[in-house]
Amino acid sequence: MPALLDSSRPRLAVGCRWGKQGEDRVVLLPEGIIRLQGTGQSVLELCDGEHTLRQMVETLSERYSADTAKIRENVATFLEALQKKRVVDY
Amino acid sequence: MTSNPLALIAEITHRCPLHCVYCSNPLQMMGTEAELPTEEWIRVLREAARLGILHVHLTGGEPLVRADLKELVEAAHSAGLYTNLITSGIGLSEARLGSLVDAGLDHIQLSFQDSREQSANWIAGAKAHAHKVALAETVRRFRIAFTVNLVVHRQNLDHLEEMIGFAEGLQPDRMEIAHAQYYGWALKNRDTLMPTCRQLENCLRIVGEAQERLSGRIRIDCVLPDYYARYPKACMGGWGRSLMLINPAGEVLPCHAAAVIPGMQFDNVRGHPLEWIWKDSAAFQRFRGEQWMPEPCRSCERRTLDFGGCRCQAFLLTGEASATDPVCTLAPSHHLVESLQLETKAEQERSGEVAWSYRMDRS
Repeated sequence: MPALLDSSRPRLAVGCRWGKQGEDRVVLLPEGIIRLQGTGQSVLELCDGEHTLRQMVETLSERYSADTAKIRENVATFLEALQKKRVVDY
Repeated sequence: MTSNPLALIAEITHRCPLHCVYCSNPLQMMGTEAELPTEEWIRVLREAARLGILHVHLTGGEPLVRADLKELVEAAHSAGLYTNLITSGIGLSEARLGSLVDAGLDHIQLSFQDSREQSANWIAGAKAHAHKVALAETVRRFRIAFTVNLVVHRQNLDHLEEMIGFAEGLQPDRMEIAHAQYYGWALKNRDTLMPTCRQLENCLRIVGEAQERLSGRIRIDCVLPDYYARYPKACMGGWGRSLMLINPAGEVLPCHAAAVIPGMQFDNVRGHPLEWIWKDSAAFQRFRGEQWMPEPCRSCERRTLDFGGCRCQAFLLTGEASATDPVCTLAPSHHLVESLQLETKAEQERSGEVAWSYRMDRS
């Protein structure tokens, strides 16, 4: 499993992409979809291969006025779980 | 209120260069002359997207035998559908794959019959294995999601570890270990395909170990043979609940096998809008919801998880399509499945020559 670093640039894995279900944005996978709301959605929206993990954490802590260390921990756990499912690469 | 369908299985042809003994196609297959023409498929794909469908699985037979596959992928993609090609790979050159990827193909699922060439060709009834191995390498050169599908059954389960190692070497993003499901040709060959209970226990252990080992590199999904399950599978996610299948002639079915159920009539996309077929046609209404359920399903708390199991399997095993799926340990007819398990054990102990029927296209 690759290490997730502050300098990593997470992106949706090959075969996973944004799509629309009605008015909602969802992530389409080879056999299924991920429907997210709130912070989960915000994190995935930032997985564009350009933002580094550090930039993602800064953006999110501003947006949600929350502690940076706490946000980093939560985002890392979330991204590592999605990497295991082959939804996110970094 | 009826929910929207989420996925469309588009069986664009029944023609196939392989003759796999576990094929889920019906025994009575359709010839070329019955197939929907390109423009009809394109219209249907657009209707599907408007109906809320997100995924289209292009399958067959072998979808590559249709010369218009690229146009169909293009139409699906431009309608906003996630497009998956389920293929044996026969008929796919690097140039053709490139044109499909350019047309918007999202994902390719390549099936393998075994890790051992001789056995793979024996199961497929065709010399296909070496080509598939070469093709897997080609697929990796494109930015496209790649799933290797291993179809497993009694004749190859004893070397499942070797098969997983082989599939790992092909470097897919995903691996699907699919136990043959007993419909169509697989049902005809069930005596030689159904795994023993011991094979299944080993399979669960081996798959669990491989999932652990390959975590983060290759995602492994395993589709269990439900004859040995405690409860039935949520077949198609429930009848007329999230999936629809269109066969080569344009008939719309709630699942692959629904035509085996007596009295079923399927409306055709040539005559009706897809939305009407989904919402109002008799075929989709027949086992939708819970009204049709007998006891013990009707009052069972699992009815919202498995939706009463598989109607086709209930019919094929009990003769009654609205019976509780006999796979369920709570079903009054569960003894039918238990006796099949015993027969399988006895069959394997009589190890002799394997005689089976190869899938044959209509000539």
